[in-house]
Amino acid sequence: MFAFIIRRLIQAIIVMLVISLVGFSIKNRIGDPVRDLVGERVTPAEREVIRDRLGLNDPFLAQYVRFVSNAARGDLGLSFFHKRPALEVILSKLPATLELVIGATLIIILVSLPVGIYTAIFPRSRLSRFTMGFSTLGVSIPVFLTAIMLIYVFSVELNWLPSYGRGETVDLWGWETGFLTWDGLTHLFLPSISLASITLPLFIRLIRSEMMEVLETEYIKFAWAKGLHARRVWLVHAFKNTLLPVITVFGVQIGIMFAFTILTETVFQWQGMGFMFLEAVERSDISLLVAYLVFVGAMFVVVNTVVDLIYGLVNPTVRISGAS
Amino acid sequence: MTIWWQRFKESYLLYSFRRDRVAMVSFGVLVFLILVGILAPLAAPFNPYDADSIDIMNSEIPPSWMEAGEKSFLLGTDIQGRDLLSTMIYGLRLSIMIGCGAVLLQALLGVMVGLAAGYLGGRVDSILMRLADIQLSFPYLMVAIFISAIFQVAFGIGRYEEMAVPLLVVIIGLAEWPVYARTVRASVLGEKNKEYVEAARVIGLSPGLIMIRHILPNTMTSVLVISTIQVANAVMSEAALSFLGLGMPVTKPSLGSLIRSGFEYIFSGSWWITLFPGFLLVILVLVINLLGDWLRDVLNPKLYKG
Amino acid sequence: MKKILVAVLTALLLFGLGQGVGAKTLKLGLDADPVSLDPHVQLSGGMLQYSHWVFDPLVRWSQDMRFEPRLALRWERINDRTMRFFLRKDVTFHSGNPFTAEDVRWTVERLKKSVDFKGLFEPFDEVKVIDDYTLDIITKKPYALLLNMATYIFPMDRKFYSGLDETGQYKDAIVKIGPSFALSHASGTGPFRVTFREQGVRTVFERFADYWDNGSPGNVTKIILTPIKEDATRVAALLSGDVDFISPVPPQDFQRIRRDKKVKLVTFPGGRIITFQLNQKRRPELADPRVRQAIVYAVNNAGIVKKIMKGTATVAAQQSPAGYAGHHPDLAPRYDLKRARELMKEAGLKNGFSATMIAPNNRYVNDEKIAEAVVSMLAKIKIKVNLKTMPKAQYWDEFDAQAADIQMIGWHSDTEDSGNFSEFLVMCPDAKTGYGQYNSGNYCNARIDELTLAAQSETNLARRAEILKEIEKILYDDAAFVPFHWQNHSYGAKKNIQVEPIVNTMNFPYLGDLVIQ
Repeated sequence: MFAFIIRRLIQAIIVMLVISLVGFSIKNRIGDPVRDLVGERVTPAEREVIRDRLGLNDPFLAQYVRFVSNAARGDLGLSFFHKRPALEVILSKLPATLELVIGATLIIILVSLPVGIYTAIFPRSRLSRFTMGFSTLGVSIPVFLTAIMLIYVFSVELNWLPSYGRGETVDLWGWETGFLTWDGLTHLFLPSISLASITLPLFIRLIRSEMMEVLETEYIKFAWAKGLHARRVWLVHAFKNTLLPVITVFGVQIGIMFAFTILTETVFQWQGMGFMFLEAVERSDISLLVAYLVFVGAMFVVVNTVVDLIYGLVNPTVRISGAS
Repeated sequence: MTIWWQRFKESYLLYSFRRDRVAMVSFGVLVFLILVGILAPLAAPFNPYDADSIDIMNSEIPPSWMEAGEKSFLLGTDIQGRDLLSTMIYGLRLSIMIGCGAVLLQALLGVMVGLAAGYLGGRVDSILMRLADIQLSFPYLMVAIFISAIFQVAFGIGRYEEMAVPLLVVIIGLAEWPVYARTVRASVLGEKNKEYVEAARVIGLSPGLIMIRHILPNTMTSVLVISTIQVANAVMSEAALSFLGLGMPVTKPSLGSLIRSGFEYIFSGSWWITLFPGFLLVILVLVINLLGDWLRDVLNPKLYKG
Repeated sequence: MKKILVAVLTALLLFGLGQGVGAKTLKLGLDADPVSLDPHVQLSGGMLQYSHWVFDPLVRWSQDMRFEPRLALRWERINDRTMRFFLRKDVTFHSGNPFTAEDVRWTVERLKKSVDFKGLFEPFDEVKVIDDYTLDIITKKPYALLLNMATYIFPMDRKFYSGLDETGQYKDAIVKIGPSFALSHASGTGPFRVTFREQGVRTVFERFADYWDNGSPGNVTKIILTPIKEDATRVAALLSGDVDFISPVPPQDFQRIRRDKKVKLVTFPGGRIITFQLNQKRRPELADPRVRQAIVYAVNNAGIVKKIMKGTATVAAQQSPAGYAGHHPDLAPRYDLKRARELMKEAGLKNGFSATMIAPNNRYVNDEKIAEAVVSMLAKIKIKVNLKTMPKAQYWDEFDAQAADIQMIGWHSDTEDSGNFSEFLVMCPDAKTGYGQYNSGNYCNARIDELTLAAQSETNLARRAEILKEIEKILYDDAAFVPFHWQNHSYGAKKNIQVEPIVNTMNFPYLGDLVIQ
């Protein structure tokens, strides 16, 4: 176990080195960050002076070595646009994205569990067929189309919910949260629904098929034979055994949900990491981009390590590579 | 040949297909859309790539059944004065080409990596999965910027238009292979300790043969199902890329980029520009998903697992 | 005594407004927020808008393009190199420091140190302080546009920005990247103080209680500025009532905003000319004036204005918009496809040629759509165009590298004067003098250079206008570039917000004077 973690740690460092190297090699292709910092009237000569001062004209290797040695001390450089340390910028945008994902997750759990169970128990009922059809339709609509339709209906036409941004946030030990104000919650609503719309149908289906399979097993038949109450059989015996695979898939899907936040955040002007990333591309804020890549790379390694650990614990037939 | 056909005719696949009306309709619609796409030059009333025929003064004409509509433009025109129906048909063709091409590439790469990582394990597994981590931390936008930068150095802007489709296939293909790799690896881990694999190993079959002949078929269900989702994703990724100037050129819009620009017209009153391409894309993705569902039910009720 | 009483009463009144029912909050949704609180760190439309809210210029442009006294009460020319300014008394900065001529001198010196502004202030020699409220601005050569430049002088609080901050950096340092005192602190004389700022998220402005301009009708006590980049989202925010005032409004949504009962659309003619430059060095065909003329004749710019800009732009045939000294009234747009084809034939290019084109997709109003329309217009004279569009961050690199044969550029004159267009866009490119910096067409005509330079130091305005008009005429006949239109500025607002009186051709809405009913 310990050896496994150490090994993963070394791998993580290699991963981040590779990422930063690739990030560095493309950074000159995104545009000149100095162009975004100065007005259009500034002469090329003046721009060169600024580039020199920022060290952008140094040889590639010198820049990279400087970056790595700074990064080793936890300094990922200064964002050109935000004029603050890049890591600080990323961390300040992280809560927004996390809250969006949490909001979507809550919606997925609250909707997919009852619906999934219901459709599994009564697969032939009209309501079940309707929900299944509807969920296929849901997964087929591109996320920004869903988002803009929601804005159109609920903000513009009905005027029920706000259309953009995070609303009022509360500073909770450095964590800007929108969960604690009514305003923040109403702002969270539409973005969470659009984000959830991608994976919700998937989970309804998954729960349904897992549950149906479990309902066919011997021990459920046995439970029926024992004359247990229907609700007890469904919720305790059957459902409990459905959960495990659902949780496993959930781990994988959360990563995908993070990827989709970019689109949702753009439409709703949600000030999270996806929004920040797109803006950094558009403003060629290359130092922020490289920092972002390294940060996300680190996140992936950590999450995968945890998933592999859990997987090893849950499924003892899978041996963790490196475990002695 | 005839034996294969005979076998197919008696297969459970065809039997269940015939009994499932939804699957039959979806299949019909999908075939129709693909045919229309392939035969775009014949099916479309105009050639939207022929810049000479487009007149700005025809812009935003509503569909022909509306009061201000014109007979020659059945579904109306977009802001450039292009016939919307023709543009959609050509866009459909591009989207199908890019979507299928990219997903084939993803699947090919992903399945190979996933099989190798899952079956061989150990160091190979570590290296390949870290590679997947690296790939996943690069959003496809970064991959796109990288590849199109290389491209631009090699060919210059002038040939962008003709090279855009293969370029996008490579970009989206490279960006998302880890999705397959992860899934396949997980199902391989589940399969490789089962009796039949043990048995194959005991007879002394080579690892390559075991992987391809024995394990691969058992991971195919999940691969097929992911593919239906991935085709839809690829189409949408391409749309996002064209916004960054990295997708199809504006003069040759795909279905995805049509919707992306339709997004701008949501409040404009020219609803047809938003609605029709969106509708077509939803239909396309919907039938692909419905077929995917059906396929999953037939092949294996246990999906998405692990 | 009386003065104090007035001040106290005003303060009480404003305090009362801030607290009571009279408090008027403006929720503002713009496409971007100011990149810094330091007005000298970047020369851009957004930063100048901000400067007008938190600072005050010596003079500013009125809606009808006359000079309106602000911190300078009046001015007089002493000799052909010197202008004397008499400053307003009893003006205080947000910090409480009094405003004097020293602050103006200090500000101009800081401007000359700013990378962005130093080019504009190159003609300035020095600022001489005569007494606390009188100063002379002396230029190196006779300079006709001194007052135009005075609109860029937003006096900053010298005392406030002097000394060292807690990191040991000079408070007046102009820092492009990284923290600085002026990045996060501001003290001007303007109608609003910045009370909260989170870059890219929200900026809050509150009315300055001791604002000198008691004659201003403005009654906005608080502005909450939120950047909303996505066009459709910005419009949705206005329609849903989440914000009160947005800018810009994409032309495709004009109809919808006009139809809505709660909101209105306000547009104002702007001075930004949109053009395509035809690169003669990359493409020998484009060096032939007949081919360039054919292209100008083939481009239906009136159609673009009507269909793509929805009528909210003025069709152009030259660089200078009406009202500018160099505007030549006889130059008319010339869309004529038949003539275009004839010209191509004359040039021996009946079968056309193919060319590459680049355009940005987020810099000018509907830039990408304009470029796309041009592709089909040029196809009609058999010029096959390969178009690539990209975001502005990547665009300027490609533009500078002259990566394509036909490149789009829009230009707003910094001085609200015709000469500025020619200096940057059509004079022969010269890295040493900086002239022709944005001339990617490589059009080079010695006569144009000569005339443009002559106009710079001509202080007789009538003679100067003649020179500038001659330039436009030559460029027109030579088809030096392809003119499209001057784009309008557009604002969407709730009905009770009186936007109309505060907008102008520079797109600097004077929010200090904004009235909310």
